[in-house]
Amino acid sequence: MSTLPAATDETVRQANPETRRPRRARQGTVSRTSTSGAVGKTAMLLVIFLWCLFPFVWLIFTSLKQGSAALSDPNLFRGPFGVQNYAAVLQANFSYNLRNSAIIAGVTTIVCVVIGSFAAYALARLPFKNKVLILSGVLAVSLFPPVALVPPLYEAWRAVGLLNTYPGLFIPYIAFTLPLTIFILTTFFASIPKEMEEAARVDGASPFQAFYRVVLPLAAPGVFAAAILVFVFAWNEYLLASVFCPRDLACQTVPVRIVNFTGAVQFQRPIGTITAACVIVTIPMILLVLAFQRRIVAGLTAGGVKG
Amino acid sequence: MASSASTAPAPPAGAVPPGGERAKSREISVGALARLFVAPSIITMALVALFPILYAAYLSLFEYRGRQQQGFAGLDNYVDVLTGGRFWDAVITTLIFTVASVAFEFVIGMGFALLMNQAFVGRGVTRATILIPWVIPTVISAQMWFFMLNVNPGFINNLLGLGGFNWLGSEPWALVSIILADVWKTAPFVALLLLAGLQTIPEDMYEAARVDGATAWQRFTRITLPLLKPAIFVALLFRTVDSLRIFDLPAVMTGGSNGTTTLSVLVQRFIVAEPNPGVGATLSTLTFVVVLGIGVLFVGLIGRDLVIGDPED
Repeated sequence: MSTLPAATDETVRQANPETRRPRRARQGTVSRTSTSGAVGKTAMLLVIFLWCLFPFVWLIFTSLKQGSAALSDPNLFRGPFGVQNYAAVLQANFSYNLRNSAIIAGVTTIVCVVIGSFAAYALARLPFKNKVLILSGVLAVSLFPPVALVPPLYEAWRAVGLLNTYPGLFIPYIAFTLPLTIFILTTFFASIPKEMEEAARVDGASPFQAFYRVVLPLAAPGVFAAAILVFVFAWNEYLLASVFCPRDLACQTVPVRIVNFTGAVQFQRPIGTITAACVIVTIPMILLVLAFQRRIVAGLTAGGVKG
Repeated sequence: MASSASTAPAPPAGAVPPGGERAKSREISVGALARLFVAPSIITMALVALFPILYAAYLSLFEYRGRQQQGFAGLDNYVDVLTGGRFWDAVITTLIFTVASVAFEFVIGMGFALLMNQAFVGRGVTRATILIPWVIPTVISAQMWFFMLNVNPGFINNLLGLGGFNWLGSEPWALVSIILADVWKTAPFVALLLLAGLQTIPEDMYEAARVDGATAWQRFTRITLPLLKPAIFVALLFRTVDSLRIFDLPAVMTGGSNGTTTLSVLVQRFIVAEPNPGVGATLSTLTFVVVLGIGVLFVGLIGRDLVIGDPED
């Protein structure tokens, strides 16, 4: 996952009604809507569907195959089929990994969104001396290679006893997702009409009340979008998780487990068990995407692309 | 805090942050609030991002045998790493991976974005579909591609009629496989970013160009590309920086064998497989310099141009 820079100037421009470019409504329906063209274009969309979905067809069919003969058969549709692999995954304590990932990603999301929205509000709205310096610093952190932090953090965590613990993972996750959160939310806060806050201030609200009562509710969609992206990052992270908690079931996350499933034969990856575990993890993620696609796209493109 | 509900109008929205022009008491208290709001984020990032970088630079000056510190080594670790072949091999592997995957992702992503922008039906469904590869943990897509490219059962080989071709066990096909897995996962992401940019281009510009007799290619190169520049820049920046730090795919698909040891895989090896905090810290410091350097260069070169040459229609 990466972060969205370019919020700096956007913020300023979007907040200022004068310099905002005239809204160019996209009154589509242009003359080239010939029927054959539409059919062709719709057919081309199938390419995109195929690209995105065919590995999942493979994944689901493979996870349902039973017995080594079926699993080593390159023909996807040759059985026998059954749910044996899923039973094996559940017997292998996979629920512990799901719980660990949910807790770590949940804590990361909550903390990150709370402190990130404070920072974003200050950067979007409040007068500030070193605003450009801070935004540059945030951008620099977003460009950091996480692996550069692995050796020093490993030594530091070893010294203070944070290896194989939840905080050992969610603390760096918060730091890594803060830039993304701040960029998204700065853009969202800047797009809220300033008059709303001023009205609240006139009515006697303190700056903090103006933020908490007026701006934050209006920015809820942005906050939600940022929360989803942070959660997805923390849920999917593998590098730090594999180094800071490689084996202990008390903190091992889903991605680490997906890689370390061992089969009956050592050094051979158990394809059935792994694909079943992948399906178990994938289905909630797909539902998340289907439910919140608009929010996710808004978050991904906030600050990056001009509105 | 700051309860003076002044009726003085705030500075116009979007103005340059007021420096010292208004030295009112209200502004000072608001300034304090601003610092208070920013502090937790800054402290967290400094503690977990900045401090470790400095600590790594410090560790890299010591000699270790296994995990045992042997003493101050000066720049010996750097000399060893920079004169040895492994670091440079990893740099080259990482650069090849980055250039190839970003190029393919951009071209395919652009194709997808143009397609989706033209479609009248099913735009929502397509957009949801295209998010699926993005949302899947990279580790899962790595396992998926590992098994599909496997020799036995050999799903891909069977599909393409390649027999027992050993994708992951031979050079340069192991790297090609990893590039393929990366392109599969992130080309849709690039498409999303570009699509958002495409949707801000007014349709009447194309109309006008069409009236003037511009061909489809001319419309693409003269209207779409220039107006899409901000979106293209953002997509390329993300993808370049992300590709430079690639770890999950090679770690899971090949374990770094057969010419797939990227910088991140190499650094990780000196923590887990061959623990040596001194060399690990040296490599991580160098990786940090390389990746951040390319990132900053990217922002500086293209970003500045973008800001200055901002096409105000």
